[in-house]
Amino acid sequence: MVKTARGLKLADILTTIVIAIVFGVIYKVWSPVYEVVKVFGVHADQLVYGMWFIASSLTYLLIRKPGVALLAEIAASSGELIMGSQWGLEVLIYGVVQGLFAELVFAAFRYRRFDVFVVSLSAVSATVGSLIMDFYKGYIEALAPWNMALFLLARFVGAILISGVFAVSLAKALEKTGVTQMWRPASKEDYDALNR
Amino acid sequence: MKWEIHRRETWLHETNPSLKLIVLVILFFAVLFIHNPNVLINFSLALFVLFCFGTGYSANALVWMFLPFFLIFVSTASSMMMFGEGKTTWFRWGLIHVTEESFWRGVHLGFRALALGLLGLIFSLTTRPVHLFYSLMQQLKLKPKYAYSFLAAVRLLPMMIEEFQNVHYALKVRGVPNRGGFSKVKRYAIPLLSQSIRRAQRIAVAMEAKQFSGSGPRTFYYEIGFGKYDVLFVILFVVLLFVSYHVGIHYPYISINDVR
Repeated sequence: MVKTARGLKLADILTTIVIAIVFGVIYKVWSPVYEVVKVFGVHADQLVYGMWFIASSLTYLLIRKPGVALLAEIAASSGELIMGSQWGLEVLIYGVVQGLFAELVFAAFRYRRFDVFVVSLSAVSATVGSLIMDFYKGYIEALAPWNMALFLLARFVGAILISGVFAVSLAKALEKTGVTQMWRPASKEDYDALNR
Repeated sequence: MKWEIHRRETWLHETNPSLKLIVLVILFFAVLFIHNPNVLINFSLALFVLFCFGTGYSANALVWMFLPFFLIFVSTASSMMMFGEGKTTWFRWGLIHVTEESFWRGVHLGFRALALGLLGLIFSLTTRPVHLFYSLMQQLKLKPKYAYSFLAAVRLLPMMIEEFQNVHYALKVRGVPNRGGFSKVKRYAIPLLSQSIRRAQRIAVAMEAKQFSGSGPRTFYYEIGFGKYDVLFVILFVVLLFVSYHVGIHYPYISINDVR
Protein backbone atom coordinates (compact mmCIF):
# COMPACT_ATOMS: atom_id res chain seq x y z
CA MET A 1 0.00 0.00 0.00
CA VAL A 2 1.21 3.47 -0.83
CA LYS A 3 1.94 5.49 2.25
CA THR A 4 -0.40 8.46 2.32
CA ALA A 5 0.95 11.91 2.97
CA ARG A 6 0.17 13.54 6.27
CA GLY A 7 -2.91 15.71 6.35
CA LEU A 8 -5.73 15.89 3.90
CA LYS A 9 -5.28 15.19 0.21
CA LEU A 10 -6.92 17.35 -2.41
CA ALA A 11 -9.50 14.61 -3.01
CA ASP A 12 -10.47 14.60 0.67
CA ILE A 13 -10.72 18.36 0.77
CA LEU A 14 -12.78 18.61 -2.40
CA THR A 15 -15.17 15.85 -1.33
CA THR A 16 -15.61 17.38 2.10
CA ILE A 17 -16.39 20.76 0.61
CA VAL A 18 -18.79 19.30 -1.94
CA ILE A 19 -20.70 17.38 0.75
CA ALA A 20 -20.79 20.52 2.83
CA ILE A 21 -22.14 22.52 -0.09
CA VAL A 22 -24.91 19.96 -0.67
CA PHE A 23 -25.87 20.67 2.92
CA GLY A 24 -25.43 24.37 2.20
CA VAL A 25 -28.18 23.97 -0.37
CA ILE A 26 -30.27 22.03 2.13
CA TYR A 27 -29.73 24.72 4.78
CA LYS A 28 -30.86 27.33 2.31
CA VAL A 29 -34.11 25.41 1.83
CA TRP A 30 -34.19 24.76 5.54
CA SER A 31 -33.82 28.26 6.96
CA PRO A 32 -37.20 29.68 5.83
CA VAL A 33 -38.87 26.73 7.61
CA TYR A 34 -36.72 27.48 10.61
CA GLU A 35 -37.67 31.15 10.59
CA VAL A 36 -41.39 30.39 10.40
CA VAL A 37 -41.41 28.01 13.36
CA LYS A 38 -39.19 30.43 15.23
CA VAL A 39 -41.73 33.25 15.36
CA PHE A 40 -43.98 31.27 17.70
CA GLY A 41 -41.47 31.86 20.47
CA VAL A 42 -41.86 28.52 22.23
CA HIS A 43 -38.59 27.24 20.76
CA ALA A 44 -40.03 24.62 18.42
CA ASP A 45 -37.30 25.87 16.11
CA GLN A 46 -34.64 24.54 18.45
CA LEU A 47 -35.61 20.96 17.63
CA VAL A 48 -34.42 21.39 14.06
CA TYR A 49 -31.32 23.36 15.02
CA GLY A 50 -29.27 20.15 14.89
CA MET A 51 -29.51 20.21 11.10
CA TRP A 52 -26.80 22.86 11.26
CA PHE A 53 -24.21 20.40 12.61
CA ILE A 54 -24.86 17.46 10.31
CA ALA A 55 -22.26 18.35 7.68
CA SER A 56 -19.42 17.81 10.12
CA SER A 57 -20.65 14.51 11.53
CA LEU A 58 -21.44 13.04 8.12
CA THR A 59 -18.09 13.93 6.53
CA TYR A 60 -16.32 12.57 9.58
CA LEU A 61 -18.21 9.28 9.26
CA LEU A 62 -17.43 9.02 5.55
CA ILE A 63 -13.85 10.29 5.25
CA ARG A 64 -12.64 9.46 8.76
CA LYS A 65 -9.69 11.83 8.85
CA PRO A 66 -8.66 14.59 11.25
CA GLY A 67 -9.80 18.05 10.26
CA VAL A 68 -12.67 17.15 7.95
CA ALA A 69 -15.34 17.94 10.54
CA LEU A 70 -14.04 21.47 11.01
CA LEU A 71 -13.49 21.96 7.28
CA ALA A 72 -17.00 20.72 6.48
CA GLU A 73 -18.62 23.08 8.93
CA ILE A 74 -16.58 26.05 7.63
CA ALA A 75 -17.38 25.14 4.03
CA ALA A 76 -21.08 24.72 4.70
CA SER A 77 -21.27 28.04 6.47
CA SER A 78 -19.17 29.93 3.95
CA GLY A 79 -21.42 28.55 1.23
CA GLU A 80 -24.19 30.44 2.87
CA LEU A 81 -22.08 33.60 2.98
CA ILE A 82 -21.22 33.34 -0.71
CA MET A 83 -24.82 32.71 -1.66
CA GLY A 84 -25.80 35.92 0.12
CA SER A 85 -27.78 34.92 3.15
CA GLN A 86 -28.89 37.54 5.65
CA TRP A 87 -27.08 35.53 8.25
CA GLY A 88 -23.87 35.44 6.19
CA LEU A 89 -21.13 36.48 8.53
CA GLU A 90 -22.88 35.24 11.63
CA VAL A 91 -23.30 31.79 10.14
CA LEU A 92 -19.63 31.68 9.20
CA ILE A 93 -18.49 32.50 12.73
CA TYR A 94 -20.98 30.08 14.29
CA GLY A 95 -19.79 27.48 11.79
CA VAL A 96 -16.16 27.85 12.81
CA VAL A 97 -17.01 27.55 16.51
CA GLN A 98 -19.35 24.57 16.04
CA GLY A 99 -16.88 22.82 13.76
CA LEU A 100 -14.11 23.27 16.32
CA PHE A 101 -16.23 21.87 19.11
CA ALA A 102 -17.28 18.85 17.05
CA GLU A 103 -13.69 18.25 15.98
CA LEU A 104 -12.55 18.31 19.62
CA VAL A 105 -14.72 15.30 20.41
CA PHE A 106 -13.41 13.33 17.45
CA ALA A 107 -9.86 14.24 18.46
CA ALA A 108 -10.57 13.11 22.02
CA PHE A 109 -11.36 9.66 20.61
CA ARG A 110 -8.22 9.91 18.45
CA TYR A 111 -10.25 9.54 15.26
CA ARG A 112 -10.76 5.85 15.89
CA ARG A 113 -14.43 5.51 16.73
CA PHE A 114 -17.20 5.98 14.21
CA ASP A 115 -20.39 5.01 16.05
CA VAL A 116 -23.60 6.68 17.10
CA PHE A 117 -22.24 7.47 20.54
CA VAL A 118 -19.21 9.47 19.40
CA VAL A 119 -21.13 11.28 16.69
CA SER A 120 -23.91 12.17 19.10
CA LEU A 121 -21.34 13.39 21.58
CA SER A 122 -19.86 15.61 18.90
CA ALA A 123 -23.34 16.94 18.17
CA VAL A 124 -23.72 17.77 21.86
CA SER A 125 -20.33 19.46 21.82
CA ALA A 126 -21.24 21.51 18.74
CA THR A 127 -24.44 22.48 20.53
CA VAL A 128 -22.39 23.73 23.47
CA GLY A 129 -20.34 25.77 20.98
CA SER A 130 -23.47 27.27 19.52
CA LEU A 131 -24.76 28.08 22.99
CA ILE A 132 -21.59 29.93 23.89
CA MET A 133 -22.14 32.12 20.83
CA ASP A 134 -25.82 32.56 21.70
CA PHE A 135 -24.89 33.52 25.23
CA TYR A 136 -23.08 36.57 23.85
CA LYS A 137 -25.47 37.28 21.05
CA GLY A 138 -28.94 36.55 22.37
CA TYR A 139 -28.78 37.09 26.14
CA ILE A 140 -30.35 33.64 26.53
CA GLU A 141 -29.51 33.68 30.21
CA ALA A 142 -32.10 36.45 30.62
CA LEU A 143 -34.99 34.24 29.53
CA ALA A 144 -37.37 33.03 32.20
CA PRO A 145 -36.04 29.74 33.69
CA TRP A 146 -38.80 27.45 32.35
CA ASN A 147 -38.39 28.99 28.92
CA MET A 148 -34.65 28.57 28.93
CA ALA A 149 -34.91 24.95 30.06
CA LEU A 150 -37.27 24.25 27.17
CA PHE A 151 -34.86 26.01 24.82
CA LEU A 152 -31.85 23.97 25.96
CA LEU A 153 -33.68 20.66 26.03
CA ALA A 154 -35.07 21.14 22.53
CA ARG A 155 -31.70 22.08 21.09
CA PHE A 156 -29.79 19.17 22.65
CA VAL A 157 -32.42 16.57 21.77
CA GLY A 158 -32.68 17.89 18.22
CA ALA A 159 -28.90 17.85 17.78
CA ILE A 160 -28.55 14.26 18.98
CA LEU A 161 -31.41 13.05 16.80
CA ILE A 162 -30.38 14.85 13.63
CA SER A 163 -26.60 15.15 13.73
CA GLY A 164 -26.11 11.96 15.70
CA VAL A 165 -28.62 9.25 14.89
CA PHE A 166 -29.77 10.54 11.50
CA ALA A 167 -26.20 11.25 10.32
CA VAL A 168 -25.20 7.65 11.11
CA SER A 169 -28.14 6.27 9.16
CA LEU A 170 -27.29 8.56 6.21
CA ALA A 171 -23.68 7.41 6.33
CA LYS A 172 -24.73 3.74 6.34
CA ALA A 173 -26.96 4.29 3.33
CA LEU A 174 -24.11 6.05 1.52
CA GLU A 175 -21.71 3.21 2.31
CA LYS A 176 -24.10 0.92 0.44
CA THR A 177 -23.91 3.08 -2.68
CA GLY A 178 -20.18 2.37 -2.77
CA VAL A 179 -19.01 5.97 -2.85
CA THR A 180 -16.80 5.46 0.17
CA GLN A 181 -14.64 2.88 -1.58
CA MET A 182 -11.99 5.47 -2.25
CA TRP A 183 -11.23 5.92 1.44
CA ARG A 184 -11.59 2.29 2.41
CA PRO A 185 -10.39 0.52 -0.73
CA ALA A 186 -10.23 -3.09 0.36
CA SER A 187 -11.14 -4.46 3.73
CA LYS A 188 -10.20 -7.81 5.23
CA GLU A 189 -13.63 -9.15 4.35
CA ASP A 190 -13.09 -8.33 0.69
CA TYR A 191 -9.93 -10.39 0.64
CA ASP A 192 -11.67 -13.21 2.48
CA ALA A 193 -14.41 -13.13 -0.13
CA LEU A 194 -11.79 -13.56 -2.86
CA ASN A 195 -10.20 -16.53 -1.14
CA ARG A 196 -13.40 -18.43 -0.72
CA MET B 1 -28.05 33.05 -10.58
CA LYS B 2 -29.87 35.09 -8.03
CA TRP B 3 -26.98 37.27 -7.01
CA GLU B 4 -26.03 38.14 -10.56
CA ILE B 5 -28.77 40.70 -10.96
CA HIS B 6 -27.95 44.05 -12.46
CA ARG B 7 -25.58 46.15 -10.42
CA ARG B 8 -22.83 48.72 -10.66
CA GLU B 9 -19.40 48.13 -9.26
CA THR B 10 -18.79 50.50 -6.38
CA TRP B 11 -15.66 51.39 -4.46
CA LEU B 12 -16.52 48.61 -2.02
CA HIS B 13 -15.93 46.08 -4.81
CA GLU B 14 -12.41 47.46 -5.18
CA THR B 15 -11.38 46.83 -1.60
CA ASN B 16 -9.21 43.87 -0.73
CA PRO B 17 -11.48 40.88 0.08
CA SER B 18 -9.29 39.51 2.88
CA LEU B 19 -9.09 42.90 4.55
CA LYS B 20 -12.83 43.36 4.16
CA LEU B 21 -13.50 39.96 5.71
CA ILE B 22 -11.21 40.65 8.67
CA VAL B 23 -12.66 44.11 9.31
CA LEU B 24 -16.22 42.79 9.15
CA VAL B 25 -15.44 39.88 11.49
CA ILE B 26 -13.95 42.35 13.98
CA LEU B 27 -17.08 44.51 13.66
CA PHE B 28 -19.20 41.41 14.21
CA PHE B 29 -17.58 40.88 17.59
CA ALA B 30 -17.75 44.60 18.33
CA VAL B 31 -21.52 44.48 17.78
CA LEU B 32 -21.79 41.55 20.20
CA PHE B 33 -20.24 43.72 22.88
CA ILE B 34 -22.52 46.72 22.36
CA HIS B 35 -25.07 46.60 25.16
CA ASN B 36 -26.39 50.14 24.78
CA PRO B 37 -29.41 50.18 22.45
CA ASN B 38 -28.85 53.83 21.47
CA VAL B 39 -25.37 53.11 20.14
CA LEU B 40 -26.56 49.98 18.37
CA ILE B 41 -29.47 51.77 16.67
CA ASN B 42 -27.09 54.44 15.36
CA PHE B 43 -24.64 51.86 14.08
CA SER B 44 -27.41 49.82 12.41
CA LEU B 45 -28.67 52.95 10.67
CA ALA B 46 -25.15 53.73 9.44
CA LEU B 47 -24.83 50.20 8.05
CA PHE B 48 -28.24 50.53 6.43
CA VAL B 49 -27.16 53.71 4.64
CA LEU B 50 -24.00 51.95 3.44
CA PHE B 51 -26.10 48.99 2.30
CA CYS B 52 -28.39 51.30 0.28
CA PHE B 53 -25.78 53.52 -1.32
CA GLY B 54 -22.56 51.53 -1.18
CA THR B 55 -23.43 48.18 -2.71
CA GLY B 56 -24.47 49.44 -6.16
CA TYR B 57 -27.71 47.47 -6.45
CA SER B 58 -30.96 48.90 -7.77
CA ALA B 59 -33.58 50.09 -5.30
CA ASN B 60 -35.83 47.23 -6.34
CA ALA B 61 -33.24 44.57 -5.54
CA LEU B 62 -32.37 46.26 -2.26
CA VAL B 63 -36.00 46.19 -1.13
CA TRP B 64 -36.27 42.45 -1.86
CA MET B 65 -33.08 41.73 0.00
CA PHE B 66 -34.19 43.81 2.93
CA LEU B 67 -37.67 42.29 3.34
CA PRO B 68 -36.55 39.13 5.19
CA PHE B 69 -35.03 41.39 7.82
CA PHE B 70 -38.48 42.26 9.12
CA LEU B 71 -39.19 38.60 9.80
CA ILE B 72 -35.78 38.25 11.43
CA PHE B 73 -36.39 41.36 13.51
CA VAL B 74 -39.77 40.11 14.74
CA SER B 75 -38.64 36.54 15.37
CA THR B 76 -35.48 37.59 17.22
CA ALA B 77 -37.20 40.23 19.29
CA SER B 78 -40.47 38.46 20.10
CA SER B 79 -39.38 35.59 22.32
CA MET B 80 -37.19 37.85 24.46
CA MET B 81 -40.01 40.41 24.71
CA MET B 82 -42.58 37.86 25.80
CA PHE B 83 -40.54 35.49 27.93
CA GLY B 84 -37.58 37.56 29.12
CA GLU B 85 -37.07 38.48 32.73
CA GLY B 86 -37.63 41.99 34.06
CA LYS B 87 -39.09 44.04 36.91
CA THR B 88 -41.43 46.69 35.47
CA THR B 89 -44.44 44.72 34.21
CA TRP B 90 -46.28 46.12 31.21
CA PHE B 91 -48.45 43.19 30.32
CA ARG B 92 -49.09 39.68 31.57
CA TRP B 93 -51.20 36.95 30.03
CA GLY B 94 -50.60 33.39 31.11
CA LEU B 95 -46.97 32.56 30.44
CA ILE B 96 -46.46 35.70 28.40
CA HIS B 97 -44.93 38.40 30.54
CA VAL B 98 -43.82 41.61 28.88
CA THR B 99 -41.72 43.92 31.02
CA GLU B 100 -40.01 47.16 30.20
CA GLU B 101 -36.59 45.53 30.51
CA SER B 102 -37.43 42.52 28.39
CA PHE B 103 -39.14 44.70 25.78
CA TRP B 104 -36.08 46.89 25.23
CA ARG B 105 -33.82 43.87 25.38
CA GLY B 106 -35.95 42.37 22.62
CA VAL B 107 -35.68 45.53 20.56
CA HIS B 108 -31.94 45.56 21.13
CA LEU B 109 -31.69 41.95 19.93
CA GLY B 110 -33.74 42.83 16.86
CA PHE B 111 -31.35 45.66 15.97
CA ARG B 112 -28.40 43.43 16.67
CA ALA B 113 -29.69 40.83 14.25
CA LEU B 114 -30.22 43.64 11.76
CA ALA B 115 -26.66 44.97 12.16
CA LEU B 116 -25.07 41.52 11.90
CA GLY B 117 -27.20 40.67 8.88
CA LEU B 118 -26.25 43.90 7.15
CA LEU B 119 -22.55 43.29 7.80
CA GLY B 120 -22.85 39.91 6.10
CA LEU B 121 -24.89 41.23 3.18
CA ILE B 122 -22.51 44.15 2.58
CA PHE B 123 -19.71 41.62 2.34
CA SER B 124 -21.40 39.15 0.04
CA LEU B 125 -22.90 41.80 -2.22
CA THR B 126 -19.58 43.47 -2.87
CA THR B 127 -17.22 40.51 -3.03
CA ARG B 128 -16.71 38.16 -5.94
CA PRO B 129 -16.03 34.64 -4.62
CA VAL B 130 -13.15 34.15 -7.06
CA HIS B 131 -11.43 37.30 -5.84
CA LEU B 132 -12.02 36.30 -2.23
CA PHE B 133 -10.21 32.99 -2.63
CA TYR B 134 -7.37 34.47 -4.71
CA SER B 135 -6.94 37.10 -2.05
CA LEU B 136 -6.99 34.52 0.75
CA MET B 137 -4.20 32.63 -1.04
CA GLN B 138 -2.12 35.74 -1.63
CA GLN B 139 -2.65 37.76 1.52
CA LEU B 140 -3.49 35.14 4.15
CA LYS B 141 -1.44 32.28 2.69
CA LEU B 142 -4.33 29.84 2.45
CA LYS B 143 -3.03 26.65 0.85
CA PRO B 144 -3.95 26.47 -2.86
CA LYS B 145 -5.43 22.99 -2.49
CA TYR B 146 -8.06 24.39 -0.14
CA ALA B 147 -8.77 27.51 -2.16
CA TYR B 148 -9.05 25.75 -5.51
CA SER B 149 -11.20 23.01 -3.96
CA PHE B 150 -13.60 25.67 -2.76
CA LEU B 151 -13.68 27.31 -6.16
CA ALA B 152 -14.24 24.00 -7.93
CA ALA B 153 -17.01 23.08 -5.49
CA VAL B 154 -18.77 26.39 -6.05
CA ARG B 155 -18.87 25.63 -9.77
CA LEU B 156 -20.66 22.36 -9.02
CA LEU B 157 -23.53 24.16 -7.37
CA PRO B 158 -25.67 24.60 -10.53
CA MET B 159 -25.28 20.88 -11.24
CA MET B 160 -26.45 20.02 -7.74
CA ILE B 161 -29.50 22.21 -8.13
CA GLU B 162 -30.29 20.56 -11.46
CA GLU B 163 -29.93 17.13 -9.88
CA PHE B 164 -32.19 18.19 -7.06
CA GLN B 165 -34.83 19.01 -9.68
CA ASN B 166 -34.28 15.66 -11.42
CA VAL B 167 -34.73 13.72 -8.22
CA HIS B 168 -37.83 15.73 -7.49
CA TYR B 169 -39.38 14.91 -10.90
CA ALA B 170 -38.30 11.27 -10.74
CA LEU B 171 -39.98 10.81 -7.37
CA LYS B 172 -43.08 12.57 -8.64
CA VAL B 173 -43.33 10.46 -11.78
CA ARG B 174 -43.06 7.27 -9.75
CA GLY B 175 -45.78 8.46 -7.43
CA VAL B 176 -43.69 8.56 -4.27
CA PRO B 177 -45.78 10.40 -1.68
CA ASN B 178 -44.32 13.80 -0.91
CA ARG B 179 -44.33 13.50 2.85
CA GLY B 180 -42.39 12.13 5.76
CA GLY B 181 -39.73 14.01 7.71
CA PHE B 182 -36.43 12.17 7.85
CA SER B 183 -37.34 9.64 5.17
CA LYS B 184 -38.05 12.49 2.77
CA VAL B 185 -34.75 14.21 3.50
CA LYS B 186 -33.08 10.86 2.92
CA ARG B 187 -34.79 10.28 -0.41
CA TYR B 188 -33.26 13.52 -1.66
CA ALA B 189 -29.98 13.46 0.24
CA ILE B 190 -28.73 10.00 -0.74
CA PRO B 191 -28.78 10.42 -4.54
CA LEU B 192 -27.58 14.03 -4.31
CA LEU B 193 -24.73 13.18 -1.96
CA SER B 194 -23.59 10.03 -3.73
CA GLN B 195 -23.55 11.70 -7.15
CA SER B 196 -21.72 14.71 -5.76
CA ILE B 197 -19.13 12.55 -4.02
CA ARG B 198 -18.45 10.57 -7.20
CA ARG B 199 -18.11 13.76 -9.20
CA ALA B 200 -15.84 15.31 -6.58
CA GLN B 201 -13.55 12.30 -6.67
CA ARG B 202 -13.23 12.44 -10.45
CA ILE B 203 -12.53 16.16 -10.41
CA ALA B 204 -9.98 15.74 -7.65
CA VAL B 205 -8.03 13.24 -9.75
CA ALA B 206 -7.96 15.71 -12.63
CA MET B 207 -6.92 18.56 -10.37
CA GLU B 208 -4.15 16.54 -8.75
CA ALA B 209 -2.85 15.62 -12.21
CA LYS B 210 -2.69 19.34 -12.97
CA GLN B 211 -0.74 20.04 -9.77
CA PHE B 212 -3.41 22.04 -8.03
CA SER B 213 -2.37 20.25 -4.88
CA GLY B 214 1.28 21.26 -5.22
CA SER B 215 2.82 23.30 -2.47
CA GLY B 216 5.65 24.99 -4.36
CA PRO B 217 5.71 28.65 -5.37
CA ARG B 218 3.03 29.56 -7.87
CA THR B 219 1.77 32.47 -9.90
CA PHE B 220 -1.81 33.71 -9.90
CA TYR B 221 -4.09 34.77 -12.71
CA TYR B 222 -5.60 37.47 -10.52
CA GLU B 223 -3.03 39.50 -8.62
CA ILE B 224 -4.82 41.09 -5.69
CA GLY B 225 -3.17 43.78 -3.59
CA PHE B 226 -4.11 46.85 -1.61
CA GLY B 227 -5.16 50.31 -2.76
CA LYS B 228 -6.48 53.66 -1.63
CA TYR B 229 -9.99 52.23 -1.12
CA ASP B 230 -8.69 49.88 1.55
CA VAL B 231 -7.49 52.84 3.59
CA LEU B 232 -10.85 54.53 3.04
CA PHE B 233 -12.67 51.36 4.12
CA VAL B 234 -10.84 51.08 7.44
CA ILE B 235 -11.14 54.79 8.19
CA LEU B 236 -14.85 54.78 7.34
CA PHE B 237 -15.64 52.06 9.84
CA VAL B 238 -13.51 53.56 12.59
CA VAL B 239 -15.36 56.86 12.10
CA LEU B 240 -18.77 55.15 11.94
CA LEU B 241 -18.18 53.31 15.20
CA PHE B 242 -16.82 56.41 16.91
CA VAL B 243 -19.69 58.64 15.78
CA SER B 244 -22.43 56.14 16.62
CA TYR B 245 -20.92 55.66 20.06
CA HIS B 246 -20.74 59.36 20.89
CA VAL B 247 -24.12 60.26 19.41
CA GLY B 248 -25.63 57.31 21.29
CA ILE B 249 -24.16 58.43 24.60
CA HIS B 250 -24.89 62.14 24.30
CA TYR B 251 -28.19 62.15 22.39
CA PRO B 252 -29.98 58.95 23.48
CA TYR B 253 -33.38 57.95 22.06
CA ILE B 254 -34.36 55.96 25.14
CA SER B 255 -33.15 56.23 28.69
CA ILE B 256 -31.81 52.66 28.98
CA ASN B 257 -28.01 52.48 28.68
CA ASP B 258 -27.49 48.79 29.20
CA VAL B 259 -30.03 46.10 28.35
CA ARG B 260 -28.37 43.34 30.35
